[in-house]
Amino acid sequence: MPILLQGHERSITQIKYNREGDLLFTVAKDPIVNVWYSVNGERLGTYMGHTGAVWCVDADWDTKHVLTGSADNSCRLWDCETGKQLALLKTNSAVRTCGFDFGGNIIMFSTDKQMGYQCFVSFFDLRDPSQIDNNEPYMKIPCNDSKITSAVWGPLGECIIAGHESGELNQYSAKSGEVLVNVKEHSRQINDIQLSRDMTMFVTASKDNTAKLFDSTTLEHQKTFRTERPVNSAALSPNYDHVVLGGGQEAMDVTTTSTRIGKFEARFFHLAFEEEFGRVKGHFGPINSVAFHPDGKSYSSGGEDGYVRIHYFDPQYFEFEFEA
Amino acid sequence: MQDAENVAVPEAAEERAEPGQQQPAAEPPPAEGLLRPAGPGAPEAAGTEASSEEVGIAEAGPESEVRTEPAAEAEAASGPSESPSPPAAEELPGSHAEPPVPAQGEAPGEQARDERSDSRAQAVSEDAGGNEGRAAEAEPRALENGDADEPSFSDPEDFVDDVSEEELLGDVLKDRPQEADGIDSVIVVDNVPQVGPDRLEKLKNVIHKIFSKFGKITNDFYPEEDGKTKGYIFLEYASPAHAVDAVKNADGYKLDKQHTFRVNLFTDFDKYMTISDEWDIPEKQPFKDLGNLRYWLEEAECRDQYSVIFESGDRTSIFWNDVKDPVSIEERARWTETYVRWSPKGTYLATFHQRGIALWGGEKFKQIQRFSHQGVQLIDFSPCERYLVTFSPLMDTQDDPQAIIIWDILTGHKKRGFHCESSAHWPIFKMTLDTLSIYETPSMGLLDKKSLKISGIKDFSWSPGGNIIAFWVPEDKDIPARVTLMQLPTRQEIRVRNLFNVVDCKLHWQKNGDYLCVKVDRTPKGTQGVVTNFEIFRMREKQVPVDVVEMKETIIAFAWEPNGSKFAVLHGEAPRISVSFYHVKNNGKIELIKMFDKQQANTIFWSPQGQFVVLAGLRSMNGALAFVDTSDCTVMNIAEHYMASDVEWDPTGRYVVTSVSWWSHKVDNAYWLWTFQGRLLQKNNKDRFCQLLWRPRPPTLLSQEQIKQIKKDLKKYSKIFEQKDRLSQSKASKELVERRRTMMEDFRKYRKMAQELYMEQKNERLELRGGVDTDELDSNVDDWEEETIEFFVTEEIIPLGNQE
Repeated sequence: MPILLQGHERSITQIKYNREGDLLFTVAKDPIVNVWYSVNGERLGTYMGHTGAVWCVDADWDTKHVLTGSADNSCRLWDCETGKQLALLKTNSAVRTCGFDFGGNIIMFSTDKQMGYQCFVSFFDLRDPSQIDNNEPYMKIPCNDSKITSAVWGPLGECIIAGHESGELNQYSAKSGEVLVNVKEHSRQINDIQLSRDMTMFVTASKDNTAKLFDSTTLEHQKTFRTERPVNSAALSPNYDHVVLGGGQEAMDVTTTSTRIGKFEARFFHLAFEEEFGRVKGHFGPINSVAFHPDGKSYSSGGEDGYVRIHYFDPQYFEFEFEA
Repeated sequence: MQDAENVAVPEAAEERAEPGQQQPAAEPPPAEGLLRPAGPGAPEAAGTEASSEEVGIAEAGPESEVRTEPAAEAEAASGPSESPSPPAAEELPGSHAEPPVPAQGEAPGEQARDERSDSRAQAVSEDAGGNEGRAAEAEPRALENGDADEPSFSDPEDFVDDVSEEELLGDVLKDRPQEADGIDSVIVVDNVPQVGPDRLEKLKNVIHKIFSKFGKITNDFYPEEDGKTKGYIFLEYASPAHAVDAVKNADGYKLDKQHTFRVNLFTDFDKYMTISDEWDIPEKQPFKDLGNLRYWLEEAECRDQYSVIFESGDRTSIFWNDVKDPVSIEERARWTETYVRWSPKGTYLATFHQRGIALWGGEKFKQIQRFSHQGVQLIDFSPCERYLVTFSPLMDTQDDPQAIIIWDILTGHKKRGFHCESSAHWPIFKMTLDTLSIYETPSMGLLDKKSLKISGIKDFSWSPGGNIIAFWVPEDKDIPARVTLMQLPTRQEIRVRNLFNVVDCKLHWQKNGDYLCVKVDRTPKGTQGVVTNFEIFRMREKQVPVDVVEMKETIIAFAWEPNGSKFAVLHGEAPRISVSFYHVKNNGKIELIKMFDKQQANTIFWSPQGQFVVLAGLRSMNGALAFVDTSDCTVMNIAEHYMASDVEWDPTGRYVVTSVSWWSHKVDNAYWLWTFQGRLLQKNNKDRFCQLLWRPRPPTLLSQEQIKQIKKDLKKYSKIFEQKDRLSQSKASKELVERRRTMMEDFRKYRKMAQELYMEQKNERLELRGGVDTDELDSNVDDWEEETIEFFVTEEIIPLGNQE
């Protein structure tokens, strides 16, 4: 039986484990930021302050700080343990993605192209308090062509990898802001990017019904996982050659009440063979975010239905092997 | 089909003997054996279909009598019995009465000229009434028309214009009236009573009365000889349109017992006079080698082909059906604009375009033939693939029927056009009130030159197994409704059945024509609601005995077993739908074999070989599928293809395809392949998949005995096949494993590279995280602080119903 987390009133936008995997952060289209014990689903607490939908959440490597970005035009830094708001960075438009770099010293967030404002990626160095105090990022990369819909830090914090509405992938230098690599393998919006545990590769989830595996350094395309529905999120197993995809028919396109037609299942693919080997049902709407526990023994999914479900794998999962 | 092609030569000769007809001698004798497949084509039993394919058409409207009869007579006049010399005046075919296919024997130039002179004549007839001289002066006069008081702009008399008139007003000159203008408005009437001067005035009055209905008569001429009129007259109308109208409507007018007018256009005489007495041998068309059009039948594995339209119609593919994966043969972008169709024996693939139909075939699917028909929407092939019928809602004009066109597939020539009032009844082209016209091939003339007059005919249907037509006429006051079976061409009514209180009838032929089921919806007196009777006609027995099965429930679907004597009926109201299987026994008893209730079905799909049937709940019923073996009436499998919209059996009855078409549902467009037992073999997802059609096969060349023998030796064959299957299966799994192995190897190689890089960067990582090793989840275990967390777990027992 999965553990059902009911801490949100609106659809889930992102879920994320901390590095050790004992905590699970969840954000949704309501202003609440929740943190849970992943082992039993008990809620540890909330981070209160946002006044709009929260699009993204991240924790640094030693789980001291939490970063959230919201449609209330702000990005906020929190003390993980106490829930105290450490910094409030006001923006001109909604904050779509955010993240700590490898060392936890630099944060980046991207803002939407909205209300006449451009899409920007802003970088702050937390070691220099004046940047936060004056709301002056040390670097701001404008992104004129197609807005950023998902972004993560690259390995070692030298660059960020951003997925765009057009399906393009860009690697931006975190020092100079220039585009290091540009590829276009997806034909539609990239909804999610997640790195492997060693950060050498990452998986993208796209509205074009596929998820794809890339090398983090070269952005070379490696594998493709095909489904019949838009993929909202994809996560790599830390210890198996597995990837889990979450998605489903877009809520606005659901014409019937049947959950069958929406295909709201989490789907498991083998990383090398690109073949599907399992599905997990449960959500009543599309899955918006999936995450593997860092120990690879469970995974979680957050859905349009507002629920977060923690699934522990049964023994067959670990025994299963493809004939090869 | 071969037979048809083989007899084509004598047919062509026959056509040549009728120069007066619409098809003068332009048709080259089809090269013999043009389409003869090199391969499996042992000749079929001769003469089964070759002699006459017939096309049933019910002629239009209340006035149809007026319109069709002259046509029939015209045809009689130009029938094969007539001498091939240029026809005498009164014999002139009234080809304009039933506007013909544009005569293909004519040089194109001639046609073009006709059109031009038409328009010219129209322009002039307004004022001049055919006075050529005056009209010719029109231009100079117009130039001099300036007012006399004005200063003269005229050129001096000795001025020589260096600009030719051609250059100056070429566009106007082009329309300059010519000597022959106006003759388009002249008609010739034959069979007019011969009278002396005393009665001439009276005759003129009568003629005037009859013919001024069609327009103003500007001129008439009654030639005389020995004081009596000669029996034919000339009338000139104000416009050619009136003349055409008069020809159309007054030809065949019965003045009295002795005198039936024959009316022709004056220009027609010219036209037919110019036809050479000598018959020109049509030029031999170069033989186009299209290759073996039936090559696909020679495939070693006996696989079938199918066509798939996807990407909302932008792409069309042809595949070999294979148990493992479909094998693509051909894929083209924008091959068709709407959909495709196979010809009944699978020789041609027809694609639809705004401008017409194209036929493709052969190994490379080259274009074989084109039929130009603007806005074509529906087509139908004749059973032996000799003729193609196309329907277009555009282009139909009063004079030139173009709504329905019948084409000769081999030559690409238009055989005949028809008007069409409603497209509701495809493929039975045309349906209206009174008359049933049967046309015969190859002449495309009315059978026996006469339409059948059946007042109130509602529907008709050809027997697939012989020249029998079934039709029904609804009740009319005291006359009961009637279902009639008629033998053709003798027109002998072989069976008539009277029915009472009939609401509606549907005619269902069994595929071989062994049985006809007439589904009769009745409202018997004294009862509420509709009762359905199935009237089963046993065609192969003397006097066609009829048996009746009555059903009180609503009938959802009915279908005959294609090669057998069983039929299936879906009845009841959702959600309580039942299926019943009946068997027509040799003694005529109709026996209920089995009834299954609570079915999720609204359509019946029999295997083309009979015995097996798929009951499908398409669309609104979510795509429920039941695979039934009717030999012992067991349900072999229950399955579902969610939201399926179509079910297609392959021509051999080995596979079934269910599909969700983009045309009916916008997501999950895919086609799934099943065995006839209902075992799912493949799920083929295709982006915006629209349509899958199996390529039909021609009928088997094996005799009944040979088929029996094969069935007897089935065990022997099945051993061979099983072995083959095992081999290919193990090969397939071997291939799959091999493929995975290489994929895994490649992936490992990539991972090794990535991990090497990762190891190289270890120091940088340590540095970034203040010397803490976070490479493994527990690699910094020494730094961990032990912390015991107590969770308050309350156990609560909840009844299962509330659980998720």
